[in-house]
Amino acid sequence: MTRNIIFIILSIFIFSACDQGMKKAEADHSKDTVKMAVLTFEQKADSFINRAVVIEGTVLHTCKHGGKRMFIVDGTDSIRVEITAGQDVTQFDESLAGSRVRVFGILKEERIDAKYLNEWEAEVKKPEENHNAGIHTGAKGHEDQGVREKLDQINSLREDLKKSGKDHLSFYSIEAGKFIELK
Amino acid sequence: MQRKTLRRWNNALHRDIGYLCVGMTIIYAISGIILNHFKSGDFTHPDYSKSYREFKVAIPPKGIADKTYVFSVLDQLHEKDHFKSFITGENYVQIFLDKGYVYIDLKNGEAEMEIKTTRYVIKEFNLLHYNNIKKMYTWFSDLYAVALIILAITGLFVLRGKNGIIGRGAWLTAIGILLPALFLLYYM
Repeated sequence: MTRNIIFIILSIFIFSACDQGMKKAEADHSKDTVKMAVLTFEQKADSFINRAVVIEGTVLHTCKHGGKRMFIVDGTDSIRVEITAGQDVTQFDESLAGSRVRVFGILKEERIDAKYLNEWEAEVKKPEENHNAGIHTGAKGHEDQGVREKLDQINSLREDLKKSGKDHLSFYSIEAGKFIELK
Repeated sequence: MQRKTLRRWNNALHRDIGYLCVGMTIIYAISGIILNHFKSGDFTHPDYSKSYREFKVAIPPKGIADKTYVFSVLDQLHEKDHFKSFITGENYVQIFLDKGYVYIDLKNGEAEMEIKTTRYVIKEFNLLHYNNIKKMYTWFSDLYAVALIILAITGLFVLRGKNGIIGRGAWLTAIGILLPALFLLYYM
C-alpha cells in the first residue's frame, strides 16, 4: 500500500514537472516570436529573416526521403510554406498530411543566383541521381521529377531572375525547432 | 599461458557482445535492405504501402468545392468518419483522410483515392535505422556501432590454427576488405 502511494506521488511529481517544462517551452517560444500567417508569408518573410517565428497551417505534403521537409498551406494550395526539420525535430511523418500544425522555428532565406542555377543545371545533366539538388516546391510528385522537368524549372527560374531585375531570387522557409499537431 | 587467457577473454567478449548485438543487427539489416531498394525506387514509401482507386464524382455547383460538397463525396465513399481536412487548388480539391486522400479534378469530376496502410514493424525498424528518435538513442546506436567494431576485431582471433587468422581466416578477411574496395574502384 505504502509503495503504491509513493509510486502515485512520484508519478504526479514527474508528470507536473514535465508539464511545467512544456509550459516553459511554450513561454520561451512566445517571447520575441513573430506570429506569421501562411497567406501573407511571402510578402512579410523578408522582414523577419533569421528571426524566431510561429506559423499555423495544414500539412499539404511531407518529403518521403527521411521526412526532413514538409509544406503547409491554409485553405488553398496557391501559397505553400516550406518547413525544414531543425536539429530537435526528428522527422515529419507522412501521416501528418492533412493535419493542422503549429510550427515554431527560425525563418531562413535561400538565395538563388545565376551561378547557383548554372551549377544546378550541371548537376541535373549528370547521369547520377540528383533529387537533392535545387529548389523544393512541394508540388505533387516533385520528388519524382525527371531531368526534363528539372531543366524546365531551371529555365523558368532564369526567366524570373531576369524579370526581377535583381542579381538573385529569394526563397523563404522555416527551420522548425518544434511543432505541434492541433486537434 | 598468458596467450591462452587472452584468447579466452577474446572469445568470451566475442560471444557475449554477439548475443547482445543480435537484435540490433537484424533490425539494421532488414531496414537496410528496404531503404536500399526505396532509394533505388522500388518502394514509393518504405513505411507505407499505398493503393489507388479511380472513379468519377459529380462536379460541385459553379465548380466551387466547399465543406458540403466535400462531405457529400465522402458520404458516397463511406469515408465520412475518416475526414481530416481539405484544401482547394486550381480546378481541384484534395480531401485528406486518416489513411490517405481523395483528389478530385473539378473540371471533369475524375477522382483518385489513395489508401495508405502502415507497414508496422518495418516502419519502426526504419525509424531506428534513420535515427529519427535522436535523444538517448543516438548514444545507444553509437554504442552498438562500437560493439560491432569489437565484434569484428575479436572475431579475427576466435580460432587458432589453419582455420584461424594466420590460415584460411586471413584469406576470407582479405576478400571481405577487397570486395568493397573493388566496388569503389569500379564505380568511382
